[in-house]
Amino acid sequence: MTITLGFEDGTLRIESDRESDPDLDSLPGVEVDPRSSTARAPAHHYAAIRDVLRAVDADVDDAVHDTGPVSLATSYELREYQQDALDAWLDSNRRGVLELPTGAGKTVIALAAMAACDEPTLVVVPTIDLLEQWQRELETEFDAPIGRLGGGEQRVEAVTVATYDSAYLRADELGDKFGLVVFDEVHHLGAEGYQDIARLLAAPDRLGLTATFERPDGAHETVAELVGSRVYSIDTDELAGDHLAPYEIRRIEVELTPEERAEYDEVQGTFVDYVRSSNINFTSGSDYLQLVKRSGNDPQAREALLAKQRAREIMMNADNKRRQLGRILDRHREDRIIVFTAHTELVYDLSERFLIPAITNETGASERREILERFREGAYSRIITANVLDEGVDVPDANVGVVLSGSGSEREFTQRLGRILRPKDDGGRAILYELVSSETAEERVAQRRR
Amino acid sequence: MLTKDLLRVSRRGGSYRPEFIGRESRPLAAKLIGTYQGHVGEKRGTLEEAVDAIEREEADFKLVRGFAALLDREGDFETVAPLPPERARRVAFEAAEAVGVASDDERERAIAQAADDLAVKPDDIESSLYADRDCNQELAAFDSRWEPDSLIEQYNLSLAQTALFDATEVRLKSDDPRALVTAVKRLGLMYEIEQPDAETGTEGALADQRTVVVTGPDRLFRRTRRYGTAFARLLRSVAATSEWELTATVEDHGTEREMTLRAGDVSVPGVDPVAEPSYDSGVESDFAARFEALDLDWDLQREPDLLETGASVMIPDFAFDYRYADFRVYFEVMGFWTPEYVEKKLGQLANVEDVELIVAVDESLGVGEEIAARDHRAIPYSGTVRVKDVVDVLREYEDDLVADATADLPAKIRPDGDVTTMKSVAEEYGVSVDAIKDREFPDHERLGQLLVRPAVLSTIAEELSTGMSLTETESVLDDYDLTDTSAVLSAVGYRVAWDGLSGGTLEERETQADE
Repeated sequence: MTITLGFEDGTLRIESDRESDPDLDSLPGVEVDPRSSTARAPAHHYAAIRDVLRAVDADVDDAVHDTGPVSLATSYELREYQQDALDAWLDSNRRGVLELPTGAGKTVIALAAMAACDEPTLVVVPTIDLLEQWQRELETEFDAPIGRLGGGEQRVEAVTVATYDSAYLRADELGDKFGLVVFDEVHHLGAEGYQDIARLLAAPDRLGLTATFERPDGAHETVAELVGSRVYSIDTDELAGDHLAPYEIRRIEVELTPEERAEYDEVQGTFVDYVRSSNINFTSGSDYLQLVKRSGNDPQAREALLAKQRAREIMMNADNKRRQLGRILDRHREDRIIVFTAHTELVYDLSERFLIPAITNETGASERREILERFREGAYSRIITANVLDEGVDVPDANVGVVLSGSGSEREFTQRLGRILRPKDDGGRAILYELVSSETAEERVAQRRR
Repeated sequence: MLTKDLLRVSRRGGSYRPEFIGRESRPLAAKLIGTYQGHVGEKRGTLEEAVDAIEREEADFKLVRGFAALLDREGDFETVAPLPPERARRVAFEAAEAVGVASDDERERAIAQAADDLAVKPDDIESSLYADRDCNQELAAFDSRWEPDSLIEQYNLSLAQTALFDATEVRLKSDDPRALVTAVKRLGLMYEIEQPDAETGTEGALADQRTVVVTGPDRLFRRTRRYGTAFARLLRSVAATSEWELTATVEDHGTEREMTLRAGDVSVPGVDPVAEPSYDSGVESDFAARFEALDLDWDLQREPDLLETGASVMIPDFAFDYRYADFRVYFEVMGFWTPEYVEKKLGQLANVEDVELIVAVDESLGVGEEIAARDHRAIPYSGTVRVKDVVDVLREYEDDLVADATADLPAKIRPDGDVTTMKSVAEEYGVSVDAIKDREFPDHERLGQLLVRPAVLSTIAEELSTGMSLTETESVLDDYDLTDTSAVLSAVGYRVAWDGLSGGTLEERETQADE
């Protein structure tokens, strides 16, 4: 008997040429597909199916992967904890998630893993900036063309970097091209759509990297199922002192101007009035969703929603925050500064006001690359951004961070902190400024995350 | 397609239905088209404020946004600035780096220096800095395809497509199943055919059509919305046919709902549905023309429906529907193509579901026996398919059908009317004339295709007399709906003595004529 395994649009098509073969649908994840009169399985079961067939010594015609091995070598010397992490992953049948704080050199471990596997590899990353950064790293390290999917380019090579979005869109077509897949910031894989990437790829070897594995919504369980469970973990405290710079937080409360205060009170009042007259009490996030839902066909709900948005804009954009930022810029003329804020409009406002290079989701790939490059080289000492640098992008040697108007989610906060946790040349402490408007809802947000 | 936040659906009574719009939305559509036209030469930000203002006046802001999203695609937005903005920025940031900008004064110095470096005025730097941001771009031209009515049509299509984003499975019928299956394959989807008896309630042009159940490869393992955009694209192909029905299973925030769309709900602007499929060979079109010229008891259907063959489908070229019974014979013309084609066809014929199928096969293929071995009737042809050969096969089916029909008929038939025809009696029983031709009609006398009560004939005999003109005679017979003049006259003992070509008078038949 011969069992044929083939890849078809994100699934494995499994056929056998004799009826006396064992039931194909007893293999892991395999079901009978009346549409094609064959058996079929989600591609991520490939490794398990292959292992079972090997164990029973079946005659298998395996046409799942249409690529051969590649030769990858890295010159990085791993630190002790990095080597431990790599070994733990190799020992877990080359599956699993490594949990390390930002700045601990996750990329280096991934490069070493790729060199250990010598297989065509897909690296999946959440942002354009990480895409650029990984591409640069891979091009430097490996003597091979590096493919790229995302930021306006769609080029597949034996080693390819892709954004989660591009990988999602093309997973069913690319699933047979790679033996190893690396998920940077793997917690993103918990999102319903992104799960498809891991489901539709046949790659047997899977490596996940993250600073925070567990998610409050329990989605890390899905990640464990698709990539493997957490096989190594080390936290900031264990690394601090050794490999990460210490930092200090300075929180500055900013008063609204009288005009802002008056407008804030008015729009906030509109919102509160609606809430009182409706049955929504805003004890949880789902109540806010309820309001958004109602606003679709209830003009009053819509008005309330717009008022709430305006109130948030006022406190986030408070004019005194701009002045306070000027003071910080004045105080740190010799330092390297990154300014964060959640609002794109505020980024451009401050960029124009202080002539600071800005990076947002509107910034094109080449200009983004140029600005980061110039910041890295020291041609620019300041940069302002709207969240897009939140995760894992190397911005070396920045020692001052300013956060305007944070959103209050814990993840965002720690990862923003991580952004400036870089060893300084002169050993000086890094500083993080947090600017919040006082006596507004925003203050409560800032307190909640302490 | 619209973004999902602009989806408008009604869930009234557990249903799930896009909130389609009609003529009542013309004023709003016209107003928005006018707003775009009126903002040519202005910034996108200004245009958006104008649209926001309309949004606040209207009860349904999502409708306004939906229209605006469609109109946005019709506009040409351009960056208008004295300097290339990216260059202006780089020079300004470099100058700021040199100056160290933390205050307004320092900013002014940096701008002045940048202007100096580029030999332009400071204002040119200021107005160029972020002129390439979307919101600062200008609407250079707005040559819209849409009039208010076609914008509404496009909106409804886009809205239905958007609703399909969350679909996990789609069930389809169309009067052009070939187009359907082609589109399904092109979009990387999979399908199954459902037998028609499982279906109830469809009427009209789609009554005979089988349902095509469309899913994506991964659907076998779980309900997934991954193929939603492919379903949305599929709708565009489906909506371009003239008769169709689509039922989608939609995953609506954890609840499964059913959405049904039909030809009347959405259409594709500027596309007239193609009612008649084209023929893919001259042999087929030639056959169709010659067959239809004969007036047989069979109706010819072109590309009638989908037949399951293993994991695939075949669409026979024709079907013949028998007029007097629910009986269909499929007909496939197998021309000379390539060995692979022949191989594929034979494979299809071997696996096709259990139906009556005639295959016309080019003699040069030499596969007639193989087809017969697959339980189908093979008709060899060379050059053109001879209609007679097909009719002969149909006759054989017809003989069986007539025999079946006859078995259910009474031996003696007693129609109600004084005068009737074989045809109308056959229709009354839902059979062909052939089926009743050997029956007895004890109350009537049969005159050719006419059935007449003897009493009527006696009355007529009394009204007629020798020497009556043909014209008078015919007017008497007309009173009794008797059309076959010579048969009736013969039955009552008269005949026409012809006088020239048209006129004549009655005379009694000679006795020996009856013998």
